[in-house]
Amino acid sequence: MERRKFIKNSVLASGLTLVPSFLKAFETLDVKNIGYKRIVIIQLTGGNDGLNTIIPYRNDIYYKSRPKIAIKKNDTLKLNDDLGFNKNLRPLKQLYDSGDLCIINNVGYPNPKRSHFKSSDIWHTGSTNPKKQTGWLGRYIDNHGKNAHTAIQIDESLSLALKGKFKNGIATKNATELYKSLQESDFNTILAYQNSQQHLNEHNLGYLYRTMIDAKSSAKYLYDTTKGNTLSKNYPKNTLGNQLSTVAQFINSRVAAKVFYTSLPGFDTHSNQNNKQDRLLTDYADSVSAFVKDLKKQNNFKNTLILTFSEFGRRVSQNYSAGTDHGAANNVFIIGDQLKKQGLYNNLTTLEDLDDNGDIKYEIDFRSIYATILDKWLNVNDTSILDKSYSKLNFI
Amino acid sequence: MTTKEIQHLHWRAGFGLAPKQLLTMVDKSKQQMVNDLFLKSKPITNVSFDFYEFNIYTQNYIKQNKERQSALSKLNEVHTKKLNASWIKNIINTNEVLREKMTLFWANHFVCRDRNTKFIYKYNNTLRQHALGDFKVFVRAITKEASMIKYLNLNQNNKQSPNENFARELLELFTLGEGNYTEKDIKECARAFTGYSHDFDGKFRLRKNKHDTNQKVFFNKKGNFDGDDIVDIILSNKQCARYICEKIYIHFVNDTPNQNHVEDMTTVFFENYNIEQLMRYVFMADWFYDKKNIGNKIKSPIDLLVGIHKIIPFYFRQEKEFYRVQKLLNQVLLDPPNVAGWKGGKNWITTNSLMLRIKLPSMLFEKESYTYTTKGNINNKNLRIVSVKNKYQEKLDVYADWKSYKKSVKKLKLNNLLDSLILCEINSGTSRYISTFGRKPKKKNLVKVMSLPEYQMC
Repeated sequence: MERRKFIKNSVLASGLTLVPSFLKAFETLDVKNIGYKRIVIIQLTGGNDGLNTIIPYRNDIYYKSRPKIAIKKNDTLKLNDDLGFNKNLRPLKQLYDSGDLCIINNVGYPNPKRSHFKSSDIWHTGSTNPKKQTGWLGRYIDNHGKNAHTAIQIDESLSLALKGKFKNGIATKNATELYKSLQESDFNTILAYQNSQQHLNEHNLGYLYRTMIDAKSSAKYLYDTTKGNTLSKNYPKNTLGNQLSTVAQFINSRVAAKVFYTSLPGFDTHSNQNNKQDRLLTDYADSVSAFVKDLKKQNNFKNTLILTFSEFGRRVSQNYSAGTDHGAANNVFIIGDQLKKQGLYNNLTTLEDLDDNGDIKYEIDFRSIYATILDKWLNVNDTSILDKSYSKLNFI
Repeated sequence: MTTKEIQHLHWRAGFGLAPKQLLTMVDKSKQQMVNDLFLKSKPITNVSFDFYEFNIYTQNYIKQNKERQSALSKLNEVHTKKLNASWIKNIINTNEVLREKMTLFWANHFVCRDRNTKFIYKYNNTLRQHALGDFKVFVRAITKEASMIKYLNLNQNNKQSPNENFARELLELFTLGEGNYTEKDIKECARAFTGYSHDFDGKFRLRKNKHDTNQKVFFNKKGNFDGDDIVDIILSNKQCARYICEKIYIHFVNDTPNQNHVEDMTTVFFENYNIEQLMRYVFMADWFYDKKNIGNKIKSPIDLLVGIHKIIPFYFRQEKEFYRVQKLLNQVLLDPPNVAGWKGGKNWITTNSLMLRIKLPSMLFEKESYTYTTKGNINNKNLRIVSVKNKYQEKLDVYADWKSYKKSVKKLKLNNLLDSLILCEINSGTSRYISTFGRKPKKKNLVKVMSLPEYQMC
């Protein structure tokens, strides 16, 4: 679509032309959309070691490959006759027991990249083309989002995943901070002097003004909508806990966002892995558990789906310094109410058939998961967003 | 030349002018000014950078010693960030303004990324060396750079099993553009580049036993081509000149290429692939100064930061803060997003990067936040510590050199200042806003002007 046409369409779609002051119009949109489906994404940044997360406690290859760092059977929380949770994932085990968790094993993509940078890009863009410069969620906003706050990242800057061709999501750590910082800078003053539609053109300067207007209306919207709702104190104090409590504040305030993006860094465990990973998995499980409880209390869990992924798994064999190097396929967690497939979606590979680097081969393309979420959860055309048709899975 | 045209030339061929600098130029002719730009960029001064900490890490020293290898990789990580800061310092302080601007352009053309600081430093010097030189020599040099050999897997390209990564990007991104070659051309091209490698110090090495010396058929030409031959054949295709000219037009003139102008440039460039000659042609062309080409481009983050620095020099107390600002603005030098580089134009702008751009001048200079005490051993009395402490502002620890600023704007009216800071037309709402500023170029007003969306344009 041409940019001008696109702008016109999106203006018409939001009923803007009927409102004399188009500046104000942005701010009043979309408050009716209560209780619709949204997705929360958690990226375990650095490459989480899936094999020490969901442990194949009866697999000899696992124990032979990892004499120093393999987790003993007795230290796992039994999941079935072959697999057990890392014991630091007890809260996740509870979600598993109550049928709110689905574990998809051996997820990856063809010709896996082992650079954080490249593999993250692939997961973010949903494409193995290294030149792709839009994110899969960015393209979702391009096609279906009305404002920047359709997709919110709880961070200071925006990940590639949320960058579209025409539109972007918005990154903020805190709605109040966002709103007040615009008031403190000249941002709002400059916009206060604008009162015509002259900026609605496709020139670069016009684009800047339009982006400012979007930012302002999103900031104001988020501030106004969350005002009465304070952050819950029932979250563990860690990076992810802080982010998820902010997400819950948005959701429980009924912010009209479809996508929330969070991340927990530190999973690049090349040395002395177990201590580090134990701590991170504890942070992860405690935060997610608090988040689910919070949403359930406000009756918002049923419309929320949580996807957890990492840019790659780690090598099956340990390295010389009690750690693991970058690997390939890995597990993905889906958390939600009334999942179609509860528990294990598929079996973990037997580890007999590894690739040339000694990494797990992928069985499920991660884009099948994206396609499933787009199609069955967000109810949009996944093919146009992913540029290709992927087979759907049956977890929702 | 009008002041707007002078500014335009110096923004596109450099990073803008200080207000007073502009006034000294009004009497010069276009020819003189363009000549000056090229004359100043005749010398080639590399980024000055100290590698003494690397001295102990010889090939033997780290051989089969994982701990030393990991110490070296840590050292590289730290130094690549330092090199980032040194490069920017060079951009700010250089006399060879055009050469630095071109170096940045080529860094985003021959996109490359390397953790090895020495290699990427050498790569950066090669970009600078050829920035205004012979494009053919340039491309050949790039194919033999250690960083490039690593980045696009040339070191895994051997005659038994060719790796096509480099060959594909050479044709698609570096010379011809997508759709101007066949898959067969890529395969034959890859064969010619087999055996390309480098030694521990980053010197090019052809591994003869991995190099395919047999006949190749490339663009219907037959021969026992090596990499250099392939470059020659590619450049003999006018499409290569056209592809480069279009990219230069988009970068230096207008996001939307004018095909007639690009074709004229192509004719000039195809003659001998002399980059200086091409750039002279562009900067002397009447259409370069067309109104629609002035002030229509969105500044890259580096343009923005260096441009502000030209008005009021500022210094971060910690280099990592400057690094973080680059990150938040979506352009970290030496850390391109991927092999296609930064897309530029509207792609610089996200909701968040624009909010930061508008806020940046007040974060760096906001009056309310001054403290006038100098701390530490600062020899230069002109420097004051500015620390923004507003509750909702990001905190940045910066020295602002207001004395230099005062020198450069003394006896200027706000209107002159506006003229020298803003290149595009100011929209009517914003004009009304500016009319509330008063007539003097006070510090407060300066920050306000630099916070305008119009200031984001060049």
